[in-house]
Amino acid sequence: MRSVRLTPYLFVAPFFVVFAAFGIYPLIYALQLSFMRWRGAGAAHWVGADNYLYLLTSPEFWASLGNSAVMWLLIVPIQVVAGLGGAVLLANARLRLRGLYRVAFIAPFVTPLVAMAQVWIVVFDQDHGPVNYLLNLAGLPDVGWLTSTVWAKPTLALLFLWKTTGFAIIILLAGLQAVPGGVYEAAALDGASRWRQFWSITVPLVRRSMAFLVVVQTLAVFQMFAEPFVVTEGGPYGSTTTAGLYLYEHITASDLGTGAANSFLLVLLVFGLSLGAVRLLRPKDEVS
Amino acid sequence: MNPTRPGVAQYVLLTLLALAFLYPIWWAISSSFKPAAEIITSPLSIGAPTLDNYRAMFADVPIGTGFANTALVLAVKGAMTMFFCPLAGYAFAKYTFPGKDLLFGVVLLTLMLPTLVLIIPLLLEMSALGWVNTYQALILPGSIDAFSIFWMRQTIAAIPDELIDAGRVDGAGEFGIFAKVVLPVIRPGMAALAVLTTMNVYNDFVWPVVAVNDTSHQTLQVVLATLAQNITGNRIGADFAAVWGELLAAGSIAMLPLLVIFVLLQRHFINGILAGSVKG
Repeated sequence: MRSVRLTPYLFVAPFFVVFAAFGIYPLIYALQLSFMRWRGAGAAHWVGADNYLYLLTSPEFWASLGNSAVMWLLIVPIQVVAGLGGAVLLANARLRLRGLYRVAFIAPFVTPLVAMAQVWIVVFDQDHGPVNYLLNLAGLPDVGWLTSTVWAKPTLALLFLWKTTGFAIIILLAGLQAVPGGVYEAAALDGASRWRQFWSITVPLVRRSMAFLVVVQTLAVFQMFAEPFVVTEGGPYGSTTTAGLYLYEHITASDLGTGAANSFLLVLLVFGLSLGAVRLLRPKDEVS
Repeated sequence: MNPTRPGVAQYVLLTLLALAFLYPIWWAISSSFKPAAEIITSPLSIGAPTLDNYRAMFADVPIGTGFANTALVLAVKGAMTMFFCPLAGYAFAKYTFPGKDLLFGVVLLTLMLPTLVLIIPLLLEMSALGWVNTYQALILPGSIDAFSIFWMRQTIAAIPDELIDAGRVDGAGEFGIFAKVVLPVIRPGMAALAVLTTMNVYNDFVWPVVAVNDTSHQTLQVVLATLAQNITGNRIGADFAAVWGELLAAGSIAMLPLLVIFVLLQRHFINGILAGSVKG
């Protein structure tokens, strides 16, 4: 029997070995490093909270958070609305070709982000890209989609939305399909309009799926890295330097102590935002 | 939900939406087969197909190395995920042992850890170990991930205990029960796990771009990204169109494997995507 008692520990051990080596150890090391000045070579000096204070008083740090916040505003509300719209359109049990539509919506989610980021470079090029080509055909002037501080963020947000809204539709569709059909029939019998049914039945019942979607996408937007890294390199004038890309810049600048401090500040922020989102969207009658 | 028949407007809307989602993919692939100059001069036309962009791209870009490295990482990391995650999930689902709740709590806690926070610390650890530009750096971190364990635990918990007890009565060892009773039963879940893991590893970018900077170890996504950066870095380059042609050829070829897998195994893909949402 002794082997049986040991068995479950052996089964879960590999995860904890990997997690200790490549999770806990680097985290503790990084926490220590966040209180030190170290340029990747030579001796590290203890500097107390200087790295944190430096970041909290640095315009660039706040600008990176601001850029991510704007990205969030450009992405998450639109995605929730579009995702719910797409899910409602797909949910009808008598819809034909549903499988085909579903494939079309998720295909972007499956494409490699880096490859599509390159396509964005070409498609939204100011001088030779097809989007401006079309604008010119319609007699409109060129737009600096990736070169103007006004348009660069929306153009990157569009890439994110294009790639992940199918994911949102699938998540919300699953929530919708968990709603028993009889509920709607009863509401229709009671004389509730379609619109009223939507707000009083559909929305409350997909709240859980919506909360999941918002949390996942908030995490993703504040960690957004590959889009600006590949498409705009954070420019023009730092307007697409997201929190994720700013973190990476500490590595290229070999300012690893500050980078570690930045990591922890970002984690605190993302944790706070996720908790807030869960609280706001939690169905009112639930405790957990 | 509503049993009313969908109207024409609904089909029109869905079709437009579907086309909007598919068009960028179609545009990239179809443009990659056009003479490079036409990508700029007539971006919307479809001319006589040519493989020139692909020939030039294969000559200029180490895309074969990228594919080989991604395949290697995928094989090892995928095998580790497919073996260790159901194994741990089985222990959490079907055994009672002291400290189980605490240990599973740790698994759940790591689910909430943003991947980005580990990038700098991990990079430092890799350089201390002398592992920068190695396969183990690409493979080991995150090779047994909390989410897959959580997911497999849910899947295995649904297996009736009688089935497992029957295996025990037949004299199978504890590992034998896992391999001969549990794994065959959760095959659909394993398929979804395989498909989702493939997508995640294949598309992974942040860690590979940090952990590896020599060409011989770059994964496909890193090869692609350096290609894009060389181009954005040389905006006044001699032949703009030719570079774009290569870029679209490389991007199209990189998209292909996952799109094919997705079309063939879409049910597993969707199950994999949805598995994540149950934790909400």
